[in-house]
Amino acid sequence: MRIVLMMLIGVFLYASDATLEIVKSADNRPSVVIQDASVFGTETTRQKFFRLVMGDLKVTAHFKVEDTYHYTGYDALVDPMLKSYNYLLRYRFREGDQQRLYMDVKAFELPSGSPFYERSYRVANRARYPFLIHQAVIDFNDFLKMPSVAWMKRYVVFSEYVKPKHADIVIADYTLTYRKRLVSGGLNIFPKWADREQKGIYFTKLGRRPVLYYYNIYTGQQRKVATSDGMLVCSDVSRDGKKLLLTMAPDGQPDIYQYHLDSGMKERLTFYSGIDVSAQYIDGEKRIVFVSDRLGYPNIFASRIGSRGVQQMVFHGRNNNACSAHGRYIVYSSRETDNAFSSNTFNLYLISTQTDYIRRLTASGVNQFPKFSEDGESVIYLKHYASQSAIGIIRLNYNEGYLFPLKGKRIQSIDW
Amino acid sequence: MRKSLFIAAVAAALLMSGCSQKEPEVDMTQQGAGQEATSADSGLDTIQGSTESSDIMSEDARLAKIREIEASAKKIYFDFDKYNIRPDQEPRVDEDARLFASEDAKDLTIKIEGNCDEWGTDEYNYALGLKRAKSVRDALSVKGIDESRMVMVSYGESNPVCTEHTKECWAQNRRVEFKLLP
Repeated sequence: MRIVLMMLIGVFLYASDATLEIVKSADNRPSVVIQDASVFGTETTRQKFFRLVMGDLKVTAHFKVEDTYHYTGYDALVDPMLKSYNYLLRYRFREGDQQRLYMDVKAFELPSGSPFYERSYRVANRARYPFLIHQAVIDFNDFLKMPSVAWMKRYVVFSEYVKPKHADIVIADYTLTYRKRLVSGGLNIFPKWADREQKGIYFTKLGRRPVLYYYNIYTGQQRKVATSDGMLVCSDVSRDGKKLLLTMAPDGQPDIYQYHLDSGMKERLTFYSGIDVSAQYIDGEKRIVFVSDRLGYPNIFASRIGSRGVQQMVFHGRNNNACSAHGRYIVYSSRETDNAFSSNTFNLYLISTQTDYIRRLTASGVNQFPKFSEDGESVIYLKHYASQSAIGIIRLNYNEGYLFPLKGKRIQSIDW
Repeated sequence: MRKSLFIAAVAAALLMSGCSQKEPEVDMTQQGAGQEATSADSGLDTIQGSTESSDIMSEDARLAKIREIEASAKKIYFDFDKYNIRPDQEPRVDEDARLFASEDAKDLTIKIEGNCDEWGTDEYNYALGLKRAKSVRDALSVKGIDESRMVMVSYGESNPVCTEHTKECWAQNRRVEFKLLP
């Protein structure tokens, strides 16, 4: 079944505290109808293009997007039937020399039918078509003076299992449609962006001992950063890129350390004899949030760097074993059912370090690997539901979620 | 693996016993293709003693021996989300301790591999696997295995022995297993 799962929660809301839901029933967003005028690709390919254009426009959360597919000529007159919409977005994919692919975009104001916007884009390789579409939607959105969605062209890095004890590091667009393999051979896991500009990543290679590498995605050069017995994972990088939060396990004991890249100094931050993992900076990098089993099951805790005191952040759920933090917000995945022997439901929740409110972000299925976008306005996650997998985007300020179907192998870890 | 070793051992034994019954009545001039090969070790078969060796004992044979010991080690299974050793698994740990202390294994390094089912998410699952490995290492240590011989690693959910989505399958994946290194 190749029909795109597109979930649109039809409410538009504004919230200065993202954990609060203020629901407005009126939808004042401009409506957009899309027309395909491509002269490249089979019917299947054109449907893929259309679904991604539609998906991107919906993910902006700034438009009411018509789902119907229309095909027309690029220079055709505007069909009077479409005049009930606010805008018509017409695009054309065309072939270039070698592997080049072009996308022309034209927008019309309705009901007048007058064109007001035209752009052209190209990529050197057809496989990169998602970036043509993301750029076109970013620019169209900007032209209409909507809040920026430039995050759409940021990369996602993830690790996927290729066979037992083997995982590759792969880079992708945010829908995971375009993919490029960066590191293969052996067990390469826990990729993490090393800088806000996305020039490099940290990842762990698990051989006889785990080794943390820095990998420059433009030069392909990699260098060893640290080694530890048992376990070594980079779970967060400071905004200036100079400090790392690591999970290390000398003598088989997983604890959280802060690693100062300049001096090479490792500072131990947690001292519990069970499991402490997944640390991330919060509240201006003065505190960390992390996952610990100190109550007998995995849950979310916070502590001030330099202090041994620990604060429990979440008071519900039997298994809250993954979290992502941005500023004062924390999103975590919580197992809702306590069934060791059949499928379980995992939902995502959002909390703030400043308030006691909890906002549930998903309603069904297995929702895992939540990660904040760089601007903190969106959350990406993986959803498994009824034997289908999808990559989900939640637009926190708009209370809207979208799912792009996901194919391929099992994902080990993801960073946005 | 065990079966092929057994067949090889039986074949070798048959070959040796077959040869040993031959008397070396050889006419060198008539030696050639198509004739029975002459035994050069008939005397050795009657000498008392234990395992034979020489400097051409291959690395393969040594590794095969290690794999044989490794295959006889018992895997240790764990409960969902837990890393303590269950009472029903303790006799298996005892057996492993005896095996690793045996003459053939006492010089080998023991790699303790912790594994999980698919239910955890990323980092926590790797830590859980490691804690399982640590529980087993600590138990073996108490039973007399030198800690310096043991290394631990966690494969999280990356190394399943069973990939079906059933409770039996998940239970098989929540395990510690051993690799022996020369």
